[in-house]
Amino acid sequence: MFTRRPGSQRFLLPTLLLAMIGAVSASADGSDVVPTRDPATGLMSWKYEGDGLGIELLQVPPDFIRASYSARDLPAAVSEAVATRCVFGTIVRNISDRQLQYRVADWRYTAADGIEKPIKTKSEWLEEWHGMGVRFSWSILADDSVFAVGDWIQGFTTMPEPHGSVVNLRVVWSIEGVRYEKWLPNLQCAPAPAAG
Amino acid sequence: MKNGCRICNVRQRLRRVDWGVLLLTALMAAAAGAAELPPLGHSMNPVSPPLPAPTFSLPDMDGTEHELGSFRGKVVMLNFWATWCPPCRREMPSMQRLYDKYKDRGLVVVAVNQWEDPDLVFQFSGSLSLAPEFPILFDRESRIAELYAVKGLPTTYLLDKEGNIRFQAIGGREFDHPDVEALIESLL
Repeated sequence: MFTRRPGSQRFLLPTLLLAMIGAVSASADGSDVVPTRDPATGLMSWKYEGDGLGIELLQVPPDFIRASYSARDLPAAVSEAVATRCVFGTIVRNISDRQLQYRVADWRYTAADGIEKPIKTKSEWLEEWHGMGVRFSWSILADDSVFAVGDWIQGFTTMPEPHGSVVNLRVVWSIEGVRYEKWLPNLQCAPAPAAG
Repeated sequence: MKNGCRICNVRQRLRRVDWGVLLLTALMAAAAGAAELPPLGHSMNPVSPPLPAPTFSLPDMDGTEHELGSFRGKVVMLNFWATWCPPCRREMPSMQRLYDKYKDRGLVVVAVNQWEDPDLVFQFSGSLSLAPEFPILFDRESRIAELYAVKGLPTTYLLDKEGNIRFQAIGGREFDHPDVEALIESLL
């Protein structure tokens, strides 16, 4: 097509560069992260789809965590350790047509102090829980996964930040050896339960 | 499955239902409703090379033990799930439809529940528009899920007649889709 119309070639590179700059800008300001508030529950969620990854983060209120763990007869020490944190229900999807991998150990978050910190992994949580004799292992997002086409997974992502605070989460994934990352900005931790 | 026994025990089971867990399930559904749940796909991905499925024996709702090895010679869909997992709940009717279509030709569906009480699962099964008729087994401490390296729920494996894992799916699926049916046909 371009060989027939050489004039178009002059605009090809600038157009591509502009498109790339546009993509980086959209990625940097988080305008491609879609927030939603559920009218029934009041809970916020944030959704991003790009570069083969679909990710959705949902506020998880501390009372929900306490009820959830209590229903499984987990010790209060376990539920309090999680419920006192900022917790997001996290759905990770492979929306590419190839194999996708992620490792929570590669993810980072920032809060008010602006310092990048790692996410506590499921293995780290389970090590603590096993020390308390707890074998339940299904609530925290898996440390890592290799997703074939159409695969997806869900679980809690936790950060030791106060309820109601705002965090930014950097997710990292790879598709056939190519690394991608995305900052999901301004995620609001679920608010603390109302007093009384 | 011993349907007669289940029915005769219904009152006793309902009395023992863990209402706290039912509330939790409702809360989870409400929380999940806040986010748009991903659509259920219909791909099952090849396991290459096929791996021998670890053998196990687990009790069903009535305490009867089922050995995986007893299904040798049949195609087995092995599903790891829990009632509190929204995609697990969504995909279960499609497994029943698939089972209905292929059970007479040698398909067995085995749903391995994680960490839950048979009373709760019995209650849950009765609430489905299409109640599962295939065996639901209870892996109360997730030891079998660990054996299969299951990282998230639901996870589903498709085993050939020789007991090898041939296909797998992580996350919910619509199992009565023609793509999955074609895989079943290829293994029968």
